[in-house]
Amino acid sequence: MATEAPAAGSKTTAIDDLQDPIYVRLRDLVYQACGIYHPGEKLYLLAGACKRRLKAANANDIRGYMDILSTATKRDAELRELLNEITIGETCLFRSQPQLNALHNVILPEIVAARSKMGLKRLRVWSAGCSTGEEPYTLAMFLSEESEKLLLGWTFDISATDLNDRSLETAKAGIYGDYALRNTTAYFKRKYMHSVEGEKLRINDELKARVTFSRLNLNDDSRMLFMKGMDLIFCCNVLIYFDAASKRRVVQHFYSNLMPGGYFFLGHAESLYQVNDQFRLVHLPSTTGYWKAPPESTAGSKP
Amino acid sequence: MNSEVRQELQKRVKRLQALPTSPVILKPLLELLRQPSDRIELKRVVELVSYEKAITAQCLRIANSPLFGRVSATESIHAAILSLGIRRVEDILLSCCLQQLIPNDKWVIDPAVFWRHSLGCALTARDLAERIGYEDPDRAYLAGLLHDLGILVNSFAYFEQYPKVIESAVNSGRPFDRVEQEILGFTHSASGTILAQSWSLPNVIVEVIEWHHDIEHGPAENPLVSLVHLSDLLCRLNSLGYGYEEWQGVELAASAAWAILSKHCPRLAKMDLVRFTLDLEGSIARIYELVESVFASKKQN
Repeated sequence: MATEAPAAGSKTTAIDDLQDPIYVRLRDLVYQACGIYHPGEKLYLLAGACKRRLKAANANDIRGYMDILSTATKRDAELRELLNEITIGETCLFRSQPQLNALHNVILPEIVAARSKMGLKRLRVWSAGCSTGEEPYTLAMFLSEESEKLLLGWTFDISATDLNDRSLETAKAGIYGDYALRNTTAYFKRKYMHSVEGEKLRINDELKARVTFSRLNLNDDSRMLFMKGMDLIFCCNVLIYFDAASKRRVVQHFYSNLMPGGYFFLGHAESLYQVNDQFRLVHLPSTTGYWKAPPESTAGSKP
Repeated sequence: MNSEVRQELQKRVKRLQALPTSPVILKPLLELLRQPSDRIELKRVVELVSYEKAITAQCLRIANSPLFGRVSATESIHAAILSLGIRRVEDILLSCCLQQLIPNDKWVIDPAVFWRHSLGCALTARDLAERIGYEDPDRAYLAGLLHDLGILVNSFAYFEQYPKVIESAVNSGRPFDRVEQEILGFTHSASGTILAQSWSLPNVIVEVIEWHHDIEHGPAENPLVSLVHLSDLLCRLNSLGYGYEEWQGVELAASAAWAILSKHCPRLAKMDLVRFTLDLEGSIARIYELVESVFASKKQN
């Protein structure tokens, strides 16, 4: 649902420019900071992001910019700005209807049935790499609807995290235009949004209260340990920018943060093939999800 | 199924075969199918097909679709056989014959929906077979095409009760076979088996028709049953089912079919299934197009 797609429009960077070994150093720096890896054919995206930062960072050229990133006092602040530039996403609300259908028809009934024995009527959802908020707000709308039906008497909370400060600011403001709302029906707009300036709509305060936004680096192992007890984790179109090693580590965290019987969702075109073999692949109508089997059913199949 | 239900079913299947619309080339074609590929006479097939103009036209339309990996557009059955191979052309011919078996206005179920699923399953089974190294992908195609033959039987021979079956399945989001068992007292696996046996289809194919919903009790030594079972599930979960969304999640890798098939084709265990389902989605649009074009031609005729 949410993306951290690199900003487009930077393809103009000359090819010979990219041969400069400085970009390899920049790539390593970015990789160490957040796990996002730019292979050769994606290096122009990184170069574009750096060029956009030059002026604001008071650097004359790419070498000057590298100096700033190497200076202890300025390093952290500028690195954060650069990461903001790299992880801009384009997405919309209700981006993956099959995922919502699967939640409605298969997964929520399953979780509700399993929990009915325990009496714990609480659902915890994590949108990891939430970008500008489209995915967590979609989930909030969807779960609010379910609260009147299947999840009657349940509470739910949604943690939405992203690495990009600017995306998080936009997410908290919750103001969306036509592009982001192209899949949102009039019903949801009327029920959960107000109109603001121009053609835009803003998420209402009640729905906003359902989502907690915070900055989280998926590569930060110590912070990742504190996201425990999740029932559903969504990390859609985020890990495509990670290399195999960091992907494995991040997914391992997702696995241990999920409750037994919980589900993990990737973006439409992603897979955990050769990334993790603890999760069990489940085919759902028009989509796939990953399931964390409860300990007693490790040998058996899903009901 | 009790003996009374079985007798009635057998009677109705017999009546179904006496249909005047049944293409004259169907029976000889089925006989040809039982021969090993190298013993089939090309001339005989071409001769057979030329009896039925409508089938010739349909067959060429399918043969020329990208789903059959055509090299260049073929204008005659003979050329199609040369470029696609005899087995594939037989498969296509059989698809066309079956479509003519029941007149369009006699269907309880939407014929386009039925053929979309059968063709989808056939193509998926062939694709899966190629990916995992199953020895005879064209046989997998045929098995996929015919696995739900019983639905065709039921929807025609039990036209009074079948609308109820469809309605109940669609409303409850449950698979057909469960609802059939409740309402008719038998499933399309049973009725399909009777028709397939009376056509003397190869035994491996009959086994697929009979056991594709009940892998645990089926013959473990015939991996084709499992292959079609998995292809069928993948299709039904990816909008190539019977026009409704079944409310189920399926863990393929933990199923009995998976275990049987991976014993036979070790490559299966190493397959990226998400990728495969994604590729499958890509061909769904083309399968739609193909089925639509085949049916569009029928309406004109």
